[in-house]
Amino acid sequence: MTQTLHPQVETLMRRFSRELAQISPSDDLDARIGALVAGNRPARQIIPTRRSRQLPRWAAAAAVAAFAIILGVFIGVKLERNAQQQATAADATHEPAWLPADFSMWPADSVALQIPAEYSSSGTLVAVDPKAKATGKRYWIDVIVSNDGTLRIEKVVPAEATKNQNEGSRDGITLQTQ
Amino acid sequence: MRRTGEAAYKMRTAGDDSEHMARLAAGDPSALRELYQRHGRALLRFSSAMCRSRQAAEDLVHDTFVALLREPNLFDPAQGNVFGYLCGVLRHRVSRHFRHERRLVALEVDDEGAHQQVSPGDSPADEIARSEMTRAFRRAILELPPQHREVIALCDLEELPYATVANILNCPVGTVRSRLHRARALLTLRLASLELVELSDESLRAQEGLS
Repeated sequence: MTQTLHPQVETLMRRFSRELAQISPSDDLDARIGALVAGNRPARQIIPTRRSRQLPRWAAAAAVAAFAIILGVFIGVKLERNAQQQATAADATHEPAWLPADFSMWPADSVALQIPAEYSSSGTLVAVDPKAKATGKRYWIDVIVSNDGTLRIEKVVPAEATKNQNEGSRDGITLQTQ
Repeated sequence: MRRTGEAAYKMRTAGDDSEHMARLAAGDPSALRELYQRHGRALLRFSSAMCRSRQAAEDLVHDTFVALLREPNLFDPAQGNVFGYLCGVLRHRVSRHFRHERRLVALEVDDEGAHQQVSPGDSPADEIARSEMTRAFRRAILELPPQHREVIALCDLEELPYATVANILNCPVGTVRSRLHRARALLTLRLASLELVELSDESLRAQEGLS
């Protein structure tokens, strides 16, 4: 299986082999082996080698990762602070510090109803048919229904006080849009 | 070439290393010096053939003897002789060295390890030409993949028997032969590309087919 060497290669090989044969251990190597034999610690170990001086790979990777995390947190905090400052500045420019005087807590869309009512025999005020003949003192109940679902009774007034105003209404219920 | 090399190898390993190993295992470090004197030079040759720098080659030989001193009991006589064992330890150190070296940038091939042999009758021009050829040959060997370089170093340069090389490389003899076959083809092609060897078209095709 092993091929014979090319004659020129063999010549070069012989020459190189002869040169290798001239190599002899240096005095330094002899001295180091002598130190080993003498029971000293290996000379090469006393001098820190390049490998031992090198930071281990995992330590370098951990240091880089820690640095990246710290840098990320620092940048994140910085960005967050800037965003907050910008938002505060925007609020200061766009939003009024105080509510305007005409601001109303009530929604704009609401309907006011006037419902006729009379006292019942049990003493409670109940709505009545406006066309029916009054059996007692009649009142108008002003009710405001808002589009947010809330309902409130604005006021209850005797019918005589507003008789002239409601004469035109047939059903007795007056709608007012605010 | 092989027969003289094998004879030299037999002479080198003919002595009784087992006595030195027994003394070393018993805690007598002076046996290490005798083992170093017997095998240190051959180990340095192998290491020099494998490494680019002379200093690295010597460091690796030193590390091999440190390993032997620390754990002499790892040597098993049933597995082979002491020289084969030391070559195996050195080979592992060389592999580790290559792994470490791969992360570094190689600057220059250190040629100081190969001392120039000068024949008295050579003219200076011959000497220069010869040294340049040897340098180029050394570079060609160093450019081989490590597994091919080591088989050339052990079989062709150190001229160890295939069985011993197989023991050192921890592989069958057939693998040693095929690896050597391929390594020689690669080396021949590399030398041809450097114009150190002239190949006919036919043999060039054959070598390319092998590599």
